Amino acid sequence: MRPVFVAGAGMIPFERQDENTLGDILAGAGLAALDDVDLGKHEVGAVYLGNMASGLFNHQVSVASALVDRLALIPAAAERIENGPASGGSAVKNGVLAVASGYYDVVLVVGGEKMRDVIGPKATDIVAAMTHPHAEYIYGLTLPAMAGMFTRLYMEKYGVTREHLAMVAIKNQENGITNPYAHIQMKITMEGILEHPQSHINSPIIADPLHLYDCCPVSDGGAAVVLVSEEIAKTLKKPMVQIAGFGQATDTHTLAEREDPTELKAVRLAAVQAFSRAGLKPKDIDVAELHDAFTILEIAESEQAGFFKMGEGAKAVERGDTRIGGKLPINPSGGLKARGHPVGATGVAQIVDLVWQLRGEAGENQVEGAKNGFSLNFGGFGNNVLAFVLRRIS
Amino acid sequence: MSNITAYKCKSCGLIMYPYHDRCLNCKKREFEEIEPSNNGKLLTFTIIEQLPWGMDERGRILGVVEFDNGVKALGLIDVEQPKLEMKLKRGWGTVREIGGVKVKGLIFEKA
Amino acid sequence: MDLEVEAYLRPPEMDMPPYPPKVITLATGGKMVVRQATREDVPTILQAVKPTIEIERDFYDIVGVRVYAELLGWYRHRMRDMFCLIGQIDGYLVGQVNTRAYSEKLDISLHTLAIERGLRIGAHLFAAKMEYSFEYLGREEVLITAESPIGFRRWMIEYELELREGQHELGGAAPYALTRELYYKHKDRLVAGERPVPDKLMEVAEREIKVVSEQDIVEKILGAKRRIKR
Repeated sequence: MRPVFVAGAGMIPFERQDENTLGDILAGAGLAALDDVDLGKHEVGAVYLGNMASGLFNHQVSVASALVDRLALIPAAAERIENGPASGGSAVKNGVLAVASGYYDVVLVVGGEKMRDVIGPKATDIVAAMTHPHAEYIYGLTLPAMAGMFTRLYMEKYGVTREHLAMVAIKNQENGITNPYAHIQMKITMEGILEHPQSHINSPIIADPLHLYDCCPVSDGGAAVVLVSEEIAKTLKKPMVQIAGFGQATDTHTLAEREDPTELKAVRLAAVQAFSRAGLKPKDIDVAELHDAFTILEIAESEQAGFFKMGEGAKAVERGDTRIGGKLPINPSGGLKARGHPVGATGVAQIVDLVWQLRGEAGENQVEGAKNGFSLNFGGFGNNVLAFVLRRIS
Repeated sequence: MSNITAYKCKSCGLIMYPYHDRCLNCKKREFEEIEPSNNGKLLTFTIIEQLPWGMDERGRILGVVEFDNGVKALGLIDVEQPKLEMKLKRGWGTVREIGGVKVKGLIFEKA
Repeated sequence: MDLEVEAYLRPPEMDMPPYPPKVITLATGGKMVVRQATREDVPTILQAVKPTIEIERDFYDIVGVRVYAELLGWYRHRMRDMFCLIGQIDGYLVGQVNTRAYSEKLDISLHTLAIERGLRIGAHLFAAKMEYSFEYLGREEVLITAESPIGFRRWMIEYELELREGQHELGGAAPYALTRELYYKHKDRLVAGERPVPDKLMEVAEREIKVVSEQDIVEKILGAKRRIKR
């Protein structure tokens, strides 16, 4: 296997993109990554597009073919990768394998989704289509509801409180304020979302015990990276950021069948694989982008990925360890909570944010001296998870 | 039909719901069809205030129940104040209307 | 003005007890004062409404142009028995809601227009006008319709509104009703606010209704321009 490097990285702002079609979003993201690096004579050999549900959200399919057409990348190979909310991570993984195998030297990976073509409750239904058709979906189960059932047990078992969850939301929204690509750029306070006797009206229950500010927004957006071989990376005028390892693991479709419903087995296994491939340990990581679709997930993933002992993740948040400037900044971009979560874009956006961090290009959200980064893209409710370890080569 | 069908692996005895083509434990393919018992306990639950399109209601309670015979399944919890580990009894009825069709499923009540 | 003719054109007016101002703590921790606007406030409020009438997103244009007409109609005595509540943060106008009385038992909810977004300003203000109708004006029912999908979702589902026959005054989609019973059922979950408003906050709100620039209003509603580079 050959080492794989991120040569170009780009994103378009995550927000409501009423004026742009899905095609505009994907092309915009693709161009942002291509414009980030001068590839010289090298051509893109293959395009992997992470997108969960263009057919349902936008009534458009075969979107990867449409994308190479718009970007004049014909005759490059192209396909859409659908893997639920981990579609972006899966697209990056396929890109990595394509370059690592030696089959392609330059690959473009794009992730994007336009969810706001439909109103909120319809988006909820489309996302809920990933639940088990007759054992879950028919009951009206939603992703926030799965997270709610998980949160109830996690709070009970590990003493996580609503304050801890609110701390994650407040931290990530604070990070979002200085991220020009973030969907939500608004400071929230403990008083406004939890402590004030009427705060439940500002942050109503979505799926108890999760409230509005525990959940990521529904966003439109796209992100992209250009992956290259080491040989090419060495010739480019860019700091060399390597995708040092990835891991992927799956778990049962239904939450009910998990032996321990508070365990995110696929997160643990994906992280172990990614670290092992990279030859690094959790303690070597300087910055992490985790999949905080719900505040509880940032805490649970930080433990199951090996950064903190079980039950210690909430305490780390309390101590401020996960803030920018803390021991292990988590989601300096604002995470899904503030950057937003256009499902297919997220896994790619996490890689873009890490690349900017490792290159020292993260502006006001820069984690000083970050050399190694980790990302986690969580599909379904943890039934298909990807982890990545990125490393800057000095 | 007034109940779900669960599966017990004829080789290793693992109880599964919903259907898998191979046993999640031993990968064998022969199963005995079993019905969940009448009673069970509530493993976890949530109260959903934001339901998908087409479900214009609030406060629907869904939970995972472990039946006395080991089957675990999600269902509608028709209880005013649910509590973890609470004893429930199995019922059956319309749980959602999808495209004008009434879809039936598990509805649990206080045992 | 021919006051003799004018007297024929002006509608009669019902007596309405005033809406006591309240203060709502927002998710940001910021304080929004909600209070009743007077006729004299209308020209200032219209400055904030005007830029919305060309914004297509979420049907701001339809809502904006109608609010403009309703407020103007009230200001110039062509709209009967209307009230308007406004929300202010640090004196700045962040939204308005208005309702018209049909009878002593029935109010017709007209419009909710939020200028600041993402803080549930519209939801808080809508709740405030329902509070006024039921708790201070003693109405039995308020007729409601929606012109935007956001309005539809918020009002119909959140308050479990009942479908009514006939038409809403706005002549659009089917009318729904919030009854006194439903209002009290959902009040704790949806109606925020504390009284009395601390003197300092009230003084700032009353001193001047401040309105941000037209461009700022457009940006607040559409989001700052962060277009895709093409």
